[in-house]
Amino acid sequence: MSGQLKLINSAVLVVGMGGLGCPAAQYLAAAGCGHLGLMDYDTVERNNLHRQTLHAESRCGMSKTESARIALLDLNPRCVITCHSRLLNSSNALHIIEKYNVVLDCSDNVATRYLLNDACVMLKKPLVSGSALKMDGQLTVYNHGEHGPCYRCIYPVPPPPEAVTNCGDGGILGAITGTIGAMQALEAIKIIAGLGDILAGRLLIFDGRYCHFRNVKIRSKRPNCHVCSNQPLITALIDYELFCGAPANDKDISQKLLTADQRVSVIEYQKLRNSQEHLLIDVRSAAEFEICQLPNAINIPLAQILNDNYVNQLSSQLESRKFAVLIVCRRGNDSQIAVQHMKTRYPDHSIRDLEGGLYAWTNHIDQTFPIY
Amino acid sequence: MSVEESPPLIKVNILFFARSRELAGTACVVLEIEPLIIAKDLVNQLVDRFDLGSISQNLIIAHNETYIENLDVEIHLHQGDEIAVIPPISGG
Repeated sequence: MSGQLKLINSAVLVVGMGGLGCPAAQYLAAAGCGHLGLMDYDTVERNNLHRQTLHAESRCGMSKTESARIALLDLNPRCVITCHSRLLNSSNALHIIEKYNVVLDCSDNVATRYLLNDACVMLKKPLVSGSALKMDGQLTVYNHGEHGPCYRCIYPVPPPPEAVTNCGDGGILGAITGTIGAMQALEAIKIIAGLGDILAGRLLIFDGRYCHFRNVKIRSKRPNCHVCSNQPLITALIDYELFCGAPANDKDISQKLLTADQRVSVIEYQKLRNSQEHLLIDVRSAAEFEICQLPNAINIPLAQILNDNYVNQLSSQLESRKFAVLIVCRRGNDSQIAVQHMKTRYPDHSIRDLEGGLYAWTNHIDQTFPIY
Repeated sequence: MSVEESPPLIKVNILFFARSRELAGTACVVLEIEPLIIAKDLVNQLVDRFDLGSISQNLIIAHNETYIENLDVEIHLHQGDEIAVIPPISGG
């Protein structure tokens, strides 16, 4: 009963109303949390629904916070819900977070993770951090207890942007985010109600392929941590997109690695594909290739281009320069990397990529071509 | 004059998670390694052998489910020990 009272008097901020935020908010509302803050700048899209289970097909286009609010009030009309329908940034973070007791990091990008971490350290709020990709999930609680580390204690340096896979490219199974999101709610409830042993100083690793859960003991506070040590170097929020070299969202960035003459628009390709003999190489993963493919495309995933396995597979086609080679991927980024790499071996071949990839194909040529 | 023999190599299990699994192309390998090794040298060996260069600054390395906090110290490995390579994931 006392736990229930603590819950109804608590305020929890959920940052990101996606795959993690939906189940987390759902269990918090259902458990009787008195005040939930929902933060997300984005709107509901159809391709979110497999994992963002508070949203509905009928609410596509609505802001995710508003859509989630409707679902949560249906579940628990006594829960007070505040929607923060904008991007968390260095100027609004402290003002928003200070009103809450516990913060859940359900975001989908590295810049927001560092921002949330630093803001929670400055305001002394526990941060329940969940993340998921493909079949993997991770969960820990930062900034809790005397010795509990913060995100920067564990990862002082952000990963290079090219080493970060987004959910669109990597894909993610809804039951994986569901598992981690539900456990984020569990840790938040335990913190509020003062139950059990909090997952601070430990990292839970969930490998959905084998259904293995591992609890790894991670370090305690780093004595020279830039934000949570006794002599912090960071005492005010910084520019996190600059720090991470990546935007505070999960959207695809359009890279420009090739010159205009090394690229073919989908409209040009539509004209030339039946008239000119060519080799169309799709560099997406085999699983993505299975989802959809252009006629006559052959699948050689980018990794096999970069490790030169393709050289043997295509030896006969590449022997002469008879075939024009065209490379395609989902959004037109990996295809540029592939062209650059192949050009170093075959500088005199015609090797170009399809600008904008299959996305552009759907948008400009064939609207029935699947998009994901 | 006696020649000091180096101790025999032992087998440890290396587990790769998330991005490191993709880069290494496997979830688990058995590695033959000297039983006494500076943690940093172990990490460097793993990075070189399994193509982890792009994420080498962003890894948790855990020995039998405990984070290796100080990479400058020598660690004692036993036959069958488990070394986990854990990069952060940021999706949601």
